Amino acid sequence: TLRLICTTTVVQRKNVGASGPEKYTEAFIKKQIEEFNLGKRHLANMMGEDPETFTQEDIDRAIAYLFPSGLFDKQARPMMKHPTEVFPEQRKIQWGEDGRPFHFLFYTGKQSYYSLMHETYEKFLNVQKHQDQLIAQDLPLQKEKRNLAGSRWLTKIELEEMLLEKLSDDDYSRFIQLLEKLVALPCADIEENYIQKFSKEVPVQLQKVVIEPLQYDEQGVAFSTGEGKRKTARATAVVYDNGTGKITVNGTDVLHYFPVLQDREQLLFPFQFLGRIGKHDMVCTVSGGGRSAQAGAIRLASAKALRSFVTEKEVEFMRQAGLLTVDPRVKERKKPGQEGSRRKFTWKKR
Amino acid sequence: MATPSAAGLGRRLRAWLPRIMPVRWSRYNPSYLEPEAKKELYQKPLEELTDEEREQMELKAVRPIKAAPPTLSSSVFSDPMISKFTNMMMKSGNKVLARSLMSQTLEAIKRKQLEKYHKAPENEKETIECNPYVIFHQALKNCQPIIGLSNITKGGKTYQVPVPLTDNRKRFLAMKWMITECRENKHRRMMMPEKLSQELLLAFNNEGPVIKKKHVLHKMAEANRAYAHFRWW
Repeated sequence: TLRLICTTTVVQRKNVGASGPEKYTEAFIKKQIEEFNLGKRHLANMMGEDPETFTQEDIDRAIAYLFPSGLFDKQARPMMKHPTEVFPEQRKIQWGEDGRPFHFLFYTGKQSYYSLMHETYEKFLNVQKHQDQLIAQDLPLQKEKRNLAGSRWLTKIELEEMLLEKLSDDDYSRFIQLLEKLVALPCADIEENYIQKFSKEVPVQLQKVVIEPLQYDEQGVAFSTGEGKRKTARATAVVYDNGTGKITVNGTDVLHYFPVLQDREQLLFPFQFLGRIGKHDMVCTVSGGGRSAQAGAIRLASAKALRSFVTEKEVEFMRQAGLLTVDPRVKERKKPGQEGSRRKFTWKKR
Repeated sequence: MATPSAAGLGRRLRAWLPRIMPVRWSRYNPSYLEPEAKKELYQKPLEELTDEEREQMELKAVRPIKAAPPTLSSSVFSDPMISKFTNMMMKSGNKVLARSLMSQTLEAIKRKQLEKYHKAPENEKETIECNPYVIFHQALKNCQPIIGLSNITKGGKTYQVPVPLTDNRKRFLAMKWMITECRENKHRRMMMPEKLSQELLLAFNNEGPVIKKKHVLHKMAEANRAYAHFRWW
């Protein structure tokens, strides 16, 4: 089996900065910046706006107005951006006129990476020394724990952009291990500034999704809708308040539509979890998929509909119980040269 | 392959494809955590949690969570061990049949125990266990081996070396032995629930062929004690 280095959910972008020494000289970039600023003022004059308060969004709108383009690819349309965005940051020449390199680690090949490792280890030794001093003076070690859950380390791409140098997966994991070791020490608060350069905030999951308010129908009964899917099944569910616990699927009763106990258990799962079994009525429509997929789709749809009836804390509990995530598992494709998705053809010796 | 688009969450939760295709992989990004369906854990007030549980809760608030599989439910009747056993009994994906066999087995155990209960004299009535779930769990626990054997090739010869087993492996072996025993050593006309209930009751009392198999394995491990130093992990 291959060993896989896992990455986080952050989007992976191509890093152009580490591809090689600079192709654009500093003077060239300066000239481009001057031309850009001049052009921005001309554009503001043309559009009749104030040159001083002309922002990037105004530039984009002006260019889209003056040069309308029907091309599909947004990157192919005419654009006017600041030169630092257009010409990616690249490393300057690392050696002087006599050919002698500036950095003492130049001949390692990855000078910024090794200098970073050296710096981090220096901080690590500092913290240990401080810890030893505190122990020698019999003072208590600081025990304020850093909130590990709210932050993540930089991804490999982000670190490459920071160092302007290509890294290998191994290098990256070694660096992260060193950072983890540093953070694990009790007196690591001293080097908090340094560590913060390499960590990023991760927002709490729940705040991303908007919960819709309840709607009321003619009799004044509160209801809410939800949509769910699983494999190829698509379902919509309408959950009514003040009900007796009756469930109708595609016009037929749930006992007729789902003769298997497991499917009915899945339908009742969100209600049972919130303790609202006899309180709601449900009417749902489902199409596609098989027996179990339709049950899973209705489960997701009803869980989404129940979000509007319930407090935020309970919504978070539902999410942690796995009721609100779309199941991404689908049937794996069949590959050429194999009989199925995993099964290979019978091996014949000759 | 369909890329499920989670509404409003953009490219982040796209069905994750790793850079190198490993043999065992899952459609979930590795940062996804397992779901927890039991209601009681969520109703505990904040003060009663230990430090580890608090950390776990904070981690769960930030990380995405996988969807609950169709076998998992918060009802009192869903038990992870029973679902695992049902899946192992299943043939060609016929979950309906496997589940009905399992429920018939539990019913048969209950019936047998009730018969015994009503026939027993007053003072022994308390010792007879009637709850089929308790009997199932205890029987499988009694069947779990403590130490296993693994084949290690050294100097051209293959030796059976005694090796410690993980919890998962112990549970798997107990269930596997139970199922193979019931499938093979029964009369042609006997139904699976009947045979299974018989075996489970015997295992509950530390008798029966499955317990014997476990003892045989332990004896083999004891006999090969001399090769224990071949293990390097």
